[in-house]
Amino acid sequence: MASVLARDGLLRRLRGDGVSRPVIDPGLAGGLRDWLEDGLVESVAALPTGADVVRVNKDSLNRVLLCEAHLVAGRRAPRVVTAELARGSLVDALFRQWVTTGVIDDPWADAVASFDVDGDRDGVVAFVSGLPEAHRCRLAAEVAEHAANLVERWPAPSPAWLPRTQERVEVPLCGGRVVLAGVVDLVLGSPAHDRASVCLVELKSGTRRLEHRPDLHFYALLEALRSGAAPFRIATYYSGTGELDAEPVDEDTLVRALARVLDGAIRLCRLTAGVEPERRPNNLCAWCVGLPGCAPGQKRAGTDVALVSSGHGGREGALS
Amino acid sequence: MTEVPARVAWLTDALMAPVADEVAPAAWAQLRDELVRDLRALGAELPDGERLQVDAFKVRLAQRHPDRCISIDDTFTPSPRTCRRAVGVAAVNRCVRGHSPNPAVAVAAVLAEGLEDAAVADRSGAVRAPWWARWYAGLPDGGRAVVRAEAVTWATQLLTSVDWQQVPRPVIGGRDDWWQCPAGTPIVFKGRADVRALVDRRPALLVVGTGCCPADWRVELGYPGLVAALCREARVSPCRVVGVWPQSGQIRILPIDAAALRATATAVVAGVATWVDSRIEKERATRDSVSGALSVSVDGALA
Repeated sequence: MASVLARDGLLRRLRGDGVSRPVIDPGLAGGLRDWLEDGLVESVAALPTGADVVRVNKDSLNRVLLCEAHLVAGRRAPRVVTAELARGSLVDALFRQWVTTGVIDDPWADAVASFDVDGDRDGVVAFVSGLPEAHRCRLAAEVAEHAANLVERWPAPSPAWLPRTQERVEVPLCGGRVVLAGVVDLVLGSPAHDRASVCLVELKSGTRRLEHRPDLHFYALLEALRSGAAPFRIATYYSGTGELDAEPVDEDTLVRALARVLDGAIRLCRLTAGVEPERRPNNLCAWCVGLPGCAPGQKRAGTDVALVSSGHGGREGALS
Repeated sequence: MTEVPARVAWLTDALMAPVADEVAPAAWAQLRDELVRDLRALGAELPDGERLQVDAFKVRLAQRHPDRCISIDDTFTPSPRTCRRAVGVAAVNRCVRGHSPNPAVAVAAVLAEGLEDAAVADRSGAVRAPWWARWYAGLPDGGRAVVRAEAVTWATQLLTSVDWQQVPRPVIGGRDDWWQCPAGTPIVFKGRADVRALVDRRPALLVVGTGCCPADWRVELGYPGLVAALCREARVSPCRVVGVWPQSGQIRILPIDAAALRATATAVVAGVATWVDSRIEKERATRDSVSGALSVSVDGALA
């Protein structure tokens, strides 16, 4: 259940007040790891010598499970920053700043500065600098609105909860030939002793979607594999609306996530081994960069010209 | 007694375990002589006036991507990632000594002190500011927030990896070990450990890694152990190096015995050879481009 929550309510939901935290099963993480490695052993054995490490992150997982051909086409195409992606990255930076310092004075300047100092690896600053003035102002206004929502609704967590932002988690499997990887927006709580004590939070600046849940389950699995203890709670916070989707983590959650990760990782291994990608027409075919060369996708989309979801030209522009 | 997570107890026990092996002084002396001999030969090949400063990053790079050594620019560029360790160890030190209650408060204090020191150093020179302080002082708020956030995350990972109550008088951060190859050889080793603890009067080192533990982790851990050993007598050389990779939850332990020192020295000499080759190539390329430019200019003048 999601709802717009005031600060106290949000904290209560994150802490899971009134709900007992699960006791840690010391053998669970090892069992999950064994399960994953057993399931991957054949796929990894089929990888050519010297093949790149197969990296499984939430993006590659979502794409490969949607359609292998979509993933391959996306990897071949140059990376395109869209207005939505830029907004997401800028709001993520402001969330990080808010959690760390409790201050956001000038949302646009602060967010852009955070990318400037960190090398702008994803080209966000380059993208926003190249936007026409009107589009940039509109994006800045959106970012400011999200920042205002954060300041108003999100409680700066107590430092005693050991909040850490953009925490990178990497889990090597099968001797490091497959690596599960993720960057969690916010981790709260000290490492668990006998009861689960960590809460993971993902921030989304876009619309609330059911598909965000599996991302969180993936992160819960990563945390369990890394630290030997699953988080007690995982949550997605929507900065645009103030909605919070929070759920407890139990063994079923982890097992479901594991099955999904295993399916995706096997597919990613197959692609790395050079197997022809499987095509699975779906409702995103119309936006796939591989559409011009994909007959099943064209049949599904009813066109051979891909839509563009950015504000930069194309047949559909969010900011145009 | 405070209860700590099992893997924290395990890492701490591994760090503080009694010393099992000692490196025989004669074996160490021989290994050291061989290392110096190899380095002197390599140092003699360096272009005139060149000095090679070797650190763990350079050893890693030479081992994994020797082709990249030639294109690496030695100029250091501060960034949130390059200074998170410096700020982070200072913050963990504050927490362990009870000066700050948690990493977030400690990092804020360390950064604030850095700003003060930078301001005083600018005015009077009476204070030496940390290397990152001037750079940090010049950042806008958004940039400072990233530096702070990176340092908090790093510091929290280190603080929560160790049961500090079981580590008497740890040196957190501390000075890097520097070893100058003798007899005027222009090669210097720099070794770094994030934590040093004393076990039976010998240092045990803890190193925090990034990402996953690499396949060549023995060299990664052996290098700071070797440099620390080179700076000391055999009987007080490090007993072990413990590596922790918080992002992947991996822990590795390398006892610093004669075999580990020899294997590391072999890998380091190979790495130094790669760097010497790349310096020679670089110098040759520079010389060729200068002579090429001169001949063009002479030709142009003649034309």
